[in-house]
Order: sequence, then structure tokens, then C-alpha cells
Amino acid sequence: MKFVWLVFKNLTRNRRRSVLTILSIAVSLFIFCALASVPLVARRILADSASSVRIACHNKAGLAYPMPQSYKHRIAGIPHVVAVISQNWFGGIYDEVTDQFPNLAADPEDIEVMWPDWGLSREAVDQFKGLRTACLVGPSTMKEFHWQIGQQIMLRGTIYPFNLTLNIVGVLGGKAPPNFMLFRRDYLEELAGETGYVDNYWVRVDEAASVPKTMAALDQEFANSPAETLSESEASFLGNFIDNYRIFFQLAEMLGLVVIVTIGLVAANTAAMSIRERRTEIAVMRAIGFQSGTILFMILSESLLVALIGGVLGCGAAFLTFKFFSIGAVAAGPLANVRVSPQIVAETMILAALIGIVSAFVPAYSATRRNIVEALRMVA
Amino acid sequence: MAERYAVDFEHVTRIYRRDEFEIRALDDVTVKVPEGRFVAIMGPSGSGKTTMLNLIAGIDHATSGRVAVGGEEITGMKESQLAGWRARHIGLIFQFYNLIPVLTALENVELPLLLTPLKKTERRAHVEAALRAVGLADRMGHYPRQLSGGQEQRVAIARAIVTDPSIVVADEPTGDLDAVSAEDILNLLTELNRQFHKTIVMVTHDMRAERFVETIFRLDKGVLAGVEAGKMTEVAVAAHR
Repeated sequence: MKFVWLVFKNLTRNRRRSVLTILSIAVSLFIFCALASVPLVARRILADSASSVRIACHNKAGLAYPMPQSYKHRIAGIPHVVAVISQNWFGGIYDEVTDQFPNLAADPEDIEVMWPDWGLSREAVDQFKGLRTACLVGPSTMKEFHWQIGQQIMLRGTIYPFNLTLNIVGVLGGKAPPNFMLFRRDYLEELAGETGYVDNYWVRVDEAASVPKTMAALDQEFANSPAETLSESEASFLGNFIDNYRIFFQLAEMLGLVVIVTIGLVAANTAAMSIRERRTEIAVMRAIGFQSGTILFMILSESLLVALIGGVLGCGAAFLTFKFFSIGAVAAGPLANVRVSPQIVAETMILAALIGIVSAFVPAYSATRRNIVEALRMVA
Repeated sequence: MAERYAVDFEHVTRIYRRDEFEIRALDDVTVKVPEGRFVAIMGPSGSGKTTMLNLIAGIDHATSGRVAVGGEEITGMKESQLAGWRARHIGLIFQFYNLIPVLTALENVELPLLLTPLKKTERRAHVEAALRAVGLADRMGHYPRQLSGGQEQRVAIARAIVTDPSIVVADEPTGDLDAVSAEDILNLLTELNRQFHKTIVMVTHDMRAERFVETIFRLDKGVLAGVEAGKMTEVAVAAHR
């Protein structure tokens, strides 16, 4: 511990270089932190939904093709099915074109049965079922538009040629996508003129083991019909959605690694220069009686400290960036509102520590093992 | 009673290899320096002065022969043992002071004490005493860049004596100083020798040094060419006191 002040003193040796090194590490780790957060969120969504008892049932031709409303009763009659909810994508915007978020119309009857993990309060569910213009909104959308429970809002239709006037009766929580909005499908149908079409069905079964056979039964039920279905587990459904971004994720992870390797090389160069300038000092310290290992420890501590400060700044910047500039675009769907997770922070700090230690180790080891006489002669 | 030797070289040879060349820096040198003496090693460039000093300081190894310093044979010591030994027994003074630029005079002098079990307050007391001994008690908070060359060398001397080593080795301590500062440093070293009974071994080209030391070892081409008595007289000692 009595050498700690020496480590801090050495950091002040060339303040500009120390600050620039810290900043370059901070920027690179910020980029890594940001790039690594998105794929992690995607993987977590899939992991969370892996044991789900929900099935997504949509038109076999694709999500853009609707299915008849009449399917709901036939689905409800299939064994193991506990609840069925019809859903339509409204695609409305609030105020500005850029104010996009996922807003969907859903049957109100069984929402608490279908999504018990969405943290719906009894009061909110009752109000949703009791008020035709009711809507439930995710917390990030509430925050983004400064909405309050009880507030009346208007959504502008982009797919449908009309606007919706909605009353916020509750906030979605739990595992619900934080930017979702759910409103009543019967209200949409009323305004749309009873189209009788559904974009997709959510089906809940009695237990996870029933998911595969129910999916098969569903698709069998509507085989050879004008709108054949394709049923998928929730994990698969979200996986398909996330697959659209897979190249982006891979690119993000690759870029993150490239940035880390690059900054590792820059840090190694900086450390080599810094240690080279101090070779005589290191030799003097050894001549005085300092053990090589002690000096090596001090140099590595110094480099580690620089890298960790950079890591903290980088993680902090990424955390604040995602906190204040969340991805609110509708296209992001379940990937909206990426956050820097503790896992990413831990990974980033481990990388920072590695950058600090690995970059300085070779020049520091070499300097502390160099012949003292030769090193001292360099100054003369 | 047999005289104790601070430095005892027996048939010491040091050979360096530079590419295909073999350089015999010291060749079968036998030297004995009694404890408490102030001696100089003199000779032309390339005569092996610094090599001899490095061997005394334990920062270089003899190719053959026996080196004992402070009554302890260091010839067979490993690097880690030597580092500990140097911390306990040797005070080093360099031509270019070699102070750490980011540390104050006080912190530079404290550096060797970090290797001792002393507490912070005890270290501070030792540092203050050492800086007082070299006349720099009022410059403790100054960084090397804020000191003159002579003052920097005084701080280096304080750093060399702060652990109370048995031997102080000085490599051209006046080599980078003007005449007045050089005289000051030589006086200071004489004072350390007289007051604190430190054995001081100094390598120098400075002819003035002959007036201050008791013995001069002259080297030439790696061989001990002669041992002379220094010109330090009682008058000179009295004068500098």
C-alpha cells in the first residue's frame, strides 16, 4: 500500500498523455459497450421467452397477410388452449412522424391470462375491459411523451385512414416491451368498419410441454384453408424478428472487437513510449534496492488504473447515452430501449483491465529485467 | 585486532562481450578499503573505474574473483538478494543525480525508506534529518526542476544516506557541476565521512578530489596501476569543519 502514492505520482508525469490515453480507452470502451449491449438484449429476450407457454399464430404466407376473425373460436376449441387473443398492428404515430412506437390492438377479454408476466394491475385490467377507448402503455413510451395515467391522447393512423382517441388506464410492466401500447381491438374494428381480419393470434396453452403439439394442431386445423396458418413458439417468433438484425449484431460484435484490439495496440504503444522514457529511473530504483517485481507491479498498476478510469468513463457514457437517447423507433420492436446491463459493464471492465495489463506488461517486464548498468549508462 | 574492510576485492576480473569483441574492463584487481575511509578511484576513460564502482555497489557481477563489501561476500548473490542487500548497505550517488522528476525532494529522499519497515512518521523524521544534513531542510517541497544542479546532487546525497548505509558509492558526483558547486559537494562528502564515519568510494576525474580523499586507487586499462595517499591534511580537514 505504501507504493500506491508512487503510482498516482507517476500518473501526473505527463498529464496530457495520461488524459488522452484515458479518453481514447474511454471512447473505445464506450463503443464496445454500446455495440455489445444490443445483441445481449436480443439474446436475453430469446432466453426469457424460451420457456413461454404462448404461441404466435399468423398467416403462413407472412405477417403482412391477415387471417379471418372467425379462427379465434376454432383455436379456442383446440385441446390445451387456455386463452386466445386476436391482435392487429395499428402503426399509429403520436404528434410527429418521428414519434413512433409499437401500438397494437388486442382483444381485452383474457389479457391478464395471456400476459400474466406483464405486471398488469387488477385495476388496470378492469379499466381496460370496462372502457372501449382504454389503452395500456409501456413505461418508456409514457416517459418519452410525458404521459400520465388518465390522460387522453390521439394516435394518428398511418395504415388505417383514421385517428384513434385513447385513454391511458395503466402502465405495462414486468417483461412487457417497455415501449409497447395495447388498446382494444373492438374499438379498432368499430372505427375500421368491422373488417373481420386479424394480423396474428396469441395462443396460451396449459403447460410448456403442450406447446409443440398445440402448434401442430393449430396448423392442421387450418390446413388447406384460404388462410393457412404458421404457428410458432414465442421464442421462435421473436427469434425470426430478431433474425432480421442478425447481420447487424454480428457486425456490431465484430466492430466491438476490432475497436478493442485497436485501442489495445494504441495503449501498448503509449505504454512502451512511457516506459522507455523511464528506463533510467527504473534502473535507479532497482539500484537503490527496489525489487524488479515491485517495480513491475507499480507500472502495471499505473496502466491498470488508467485503463479502469477509461472503462468507468466509457461505461458511464454508454449508460447515460442509452438512458437519455433510447431507441424509440418502431422498427426496433422488442429491441427498443436497449440498456447497458451489469453483464456488459462487467465485460467492459474486464476488457479495460486486460487492455491495461497486457499493453504495459511486455515493455514493463523488459525494462525491469534490463541490465542496470546498461540502463544507467543511457543517461550519461 | 585485524582491520575490517568495507571493500575487499580479490583477483577480480570483469569481462564484457560486445558482439565478437571481448573487453577486459577489470583485470585481476585486488583492492582493500578499510572501513570509514574516503577513497577515490581515478584513471583515464575506459580504465575500469565505473566497472569497479558497479561491482562494489552490487549492480554488476564479476566474471571471476571474489567481491566482499561490508564484510559480506556478494559474488554469488542472486539479483533479488542483491537488491535487498543494496537497500540495506549501499548508498548510491550518480553523476546526473537521477532524481525522480515527479517527486519532491522529500519524496525522492523517502524512496529508499519505502523498502524499510518504518512507518510514515518515522520515514518523515529520517528524511528531514537527511535533508538537514545536506543543508536543504528548506527545500523539501521543491521538485528537481526547481533546484540547481548542486542542490539536486545534495538531494541525491540525502537519498544515499537516508537509510544509514555502511558504504556510499559516488560515480562522478561533481562531473556535472560548476567549480563552486563541485567544491561544496566534495566538502559535504568529507563531512559525511568525518561526522558519520561513512565509508565513501568515489569515482572521479576531478583533480580537486585529491585534496579531499585519504586514498586514491589509480586504474589504467583495467589494471590497478597504483595506490596513493590523498592530499587531505589535518589543515584541510580543520578548514572544512
